[in-house]
Amino acid sequence: MSEEHNPEPGNRILEVRLGATKAEGGTRERVYTVGGAGTFPFLGAGPAAGHPPRIALEICDDTRTWSPIVLREVGDLAEDTGAWAAAAETTFGADMVRLSFTSTRQRGFDDFASLGTTVEEVIGATKYPLIVEGSTEPAIDSEVYRRIGEAAEGERVLLGTAEADRYRSVAASALAYGHAVVAQTPIDINLAKQLNILLHETALPPERIVIDPYTGTLGYGFEYSYSVMERIRSVALQGDADLARPMISSAIDSLNVKEVREADPETADEVAIRWEFYAAFSALIAGAEIVCVRHPGTVALLREALRALLEGSHPQEEAYGDESA
Amino acid sequence: MAMKALDIYKLLPKTNCKKCGFPTCLAFAMKLASGKVDVDLCPDLDEQTRELLGGATRPPIRLVAIGAGERSFTVGEEFVLYRHERTFYHQPGLMMQVADTWPEERIEGVVARVRDETFHRVGEDLSVDGIAFRWESGDADRFGGVVGTVEACASVPEVIIADDPEAQAAALAHCGNFQPLIHAACADTAEAMCDLARKYGCALAVRAGDLEELKRLVGLCRDRGVENLMLDPAPATLRDFLARSVEIRRRAVERTDPDLGYPVVFDTVPLGLPDAATALGILKYAGVIIIDELGPASTMAALTLRQNIYTDPQKPIQVTPGLYPVNAPTGSAPVLMTVNFSLTYFTLLGYLEAAGIPCYLFIVDTEGMSVLTAVAGGKLTETLVADAIKTTELENRVDHRVLIIPGYAAPLSGKIEEETGWEVRVGPGDAAEIGEYLETGWEA
Ligand code: SF4
Repeated sequence: MSEEHNPEPGNRILEVRLGATKAEGGTRERVYTVGGAGTFPFLGAGPAAGHPPRIALEICDDTRTWSPIVLREVGDLAEDTGAWAAAAETTFGADMVRLSFTSTRQRGFDDFASLGTTVEEVIGATKYPLIVEGSTEPAIDSEVYRRIGEAAEGERVLLGTAEADRYRSVAASALAYGHAVVAQTPIDINLAKQLNILLHETALPPERIVIDPYTGTLGYGFEYSYSVMERIRSVALQGDADLARPMISSAIDSLNVKEVREADPETADEVAIRWEFYAAFSALIAGAEIVCVRHPGTVALLREALRALLEGSHPQEEAYGDESA
Repeated sequence: MAMKALDIYKLLPKTNCKKCGFPTCLAFAMKLASGKVDVDLCPDLDEQTRELLGGATRPPIRLVAIGAGERSFTVGEEFVLYRHERTFYHQPGLMMQVADTWPEERIEGVVARVRDETFHRVGEDLSVDGIAFRWESGDADRFGGVVGTVEACASVPEVIIADDPEAQAAALAHCGNFQPLIHAACADTAEAMCDLARKYGCALAVRAGDLEELKRLVGLCRDRGVENLMLDPAPATLRDFLARSVEIRRRAVERTDPDLGYPVVFDTVPLGLPDAATALGILKYAGVIIIDELGPASTMAALTLRQNIYTDPQKPIQVTPGLYPVNAPTGSAPVLMTVNFSLTYFTLLGYLEAAGIPCYLFIVDTEGMSVLTAVAGGKLTETLVADAIKTTELENRVDHRVLIIPGYAAPLSGKIEEETGWEVRVGPGDAAEIGEYLETGWEA
């Protein structure tokens, strides 16, 4: 009740550009701008509507902890990260690939050279902007982010993930090689604000930050994430500049919950797709500008829904993912 | 606009006569301001004041009941646009449609699902709420016949979808006494529909794509004595529904347009996109959602989303600290320590249940902080762990002295060992790896 419903006119979510064309020093054939809206999602038209949200398909370089349902669906692609990335764009219709370096999660990981090679492979195989996720182990962060950042130099990828106590390596890599950063905080609006301030102190410009307020899985705390996204959007439009950033949402544990894992093989794909879809769609309604899923089937379902939500609010090309270079 | 307690108090008689059941006029004013009581409880108000206070303190959206008996439900009486502002109170009823042109077996199939199918999730049985009959045949008798047949084998709440009063009458002859929702009146049929709604005491939906027209219909129906109304904004796309439903809710809760203070019906079927439309209805204020034959996977996801969205956000984001047995552990089972941040708990629990490995989840009180935040902020300490071992009597519950701590708590492992005397193993930093870790790495 404390927050007003009506955005202050003129307030906008900051625009973040992802991907770089040849002219800009990269190789992307398509680049995106996310953010820019001055209203709650899908209610505005014209400039106040901002840019259309984007759908990312998550893939990884080490499939050992990846959902067996997805692995069954993508088959041999899982063995070839480049081919998997290419299929995400062409066959599965995603706006972008989110490559997760799950290999770095092994105990004692030290094959840093492989990271650069894989990044180059994926860049070569794709045409759209990329999101790349590094390690989750502070001890190797600096090496991991340096390798990834360097290999993608000039492509303006979205690098993940900065957290409150380990953001320096990511930010340093983004600054050195010209990338944007995912700033993740555990579903708390104040923590999200603080992390943005910390990142600001590293000299990373605000228009290179995408907020990840952390998305719990449908049925496993998703309601907190939904509401924190609504709140962030709400206070951002009230004028809180530290939070006026595009949001990214990925309910990464969707395919590991009981309902999905225990689904019988006949219906497992159906259940997996729905579990991802309901969370990702709701995140869009709450204000996420980038939603990430892992099952290729979810992408198509989200695409249709997004079309129906954007109808008439954006120029055709942009709404359907054709902001060509 | 809603009024503050003091402004209300100024308009009360200030005699503290207690006839309203409250000790003072001020106490009554405070209850009124929070929308918890009806102004009519004070008998000593003149007509004008009663009207004024009623308009400012009654729930901004009328409560409407659908159906009779065990599975009947109420919708409306909501106060906010965003659940974080307070909470959402009355979850939407999901009504699965059948058409009177369908073959009998298909209708029976849907009816049986609505009647019998439930999913059990965190202590709640979740199910679709009722059936929506759609008149497609153009034949009123046939419609009545179908409603009659179903009525004989299922007692669930119903929506009767027919824009023709005669078809409505034919259906209501079979089910009118069970308070179905009549859907929907438009300008031409409002009179006849109101007569039916009054005859059976049913709620009535009015349908128009334009909010001014909706308000006019509401006025018409109220003039004909029907108060239990619902609004169908007749969306042609998801975008239409979102825009209209948000605008209706905004004007209702801001009390700028009392004629829009009724719950919304969302007929998703004509839009296609059943999953997106159902989710949108749940998120954005529908009171009744008419759905197509959603498959079991979609139904389960939709009901779970509804359960999430209608959870009270004031509920702390913490779980109660303590020892939680998972998969029926014995004394030799591993003990996994983590924090009482709900998401950490739920995520870890999900993986452990999926892995099927018996173990104890040992939750310590970090006031709802995640592992990373709690370690960084000094909330998670060796003393905290030692105290929790004592209060949970962990030493009596297991016959070993090995504690597995989260990967991100690794910096504390030495200190915890010293303080507790337990052997500490550092588990994975990512919950997804816990199954593999327990299968390969753990021996007490
Ligand atoms: S009944 Fe009316 S006058 Fe009497 S105490 Fe209550 S509010 Fe005051």
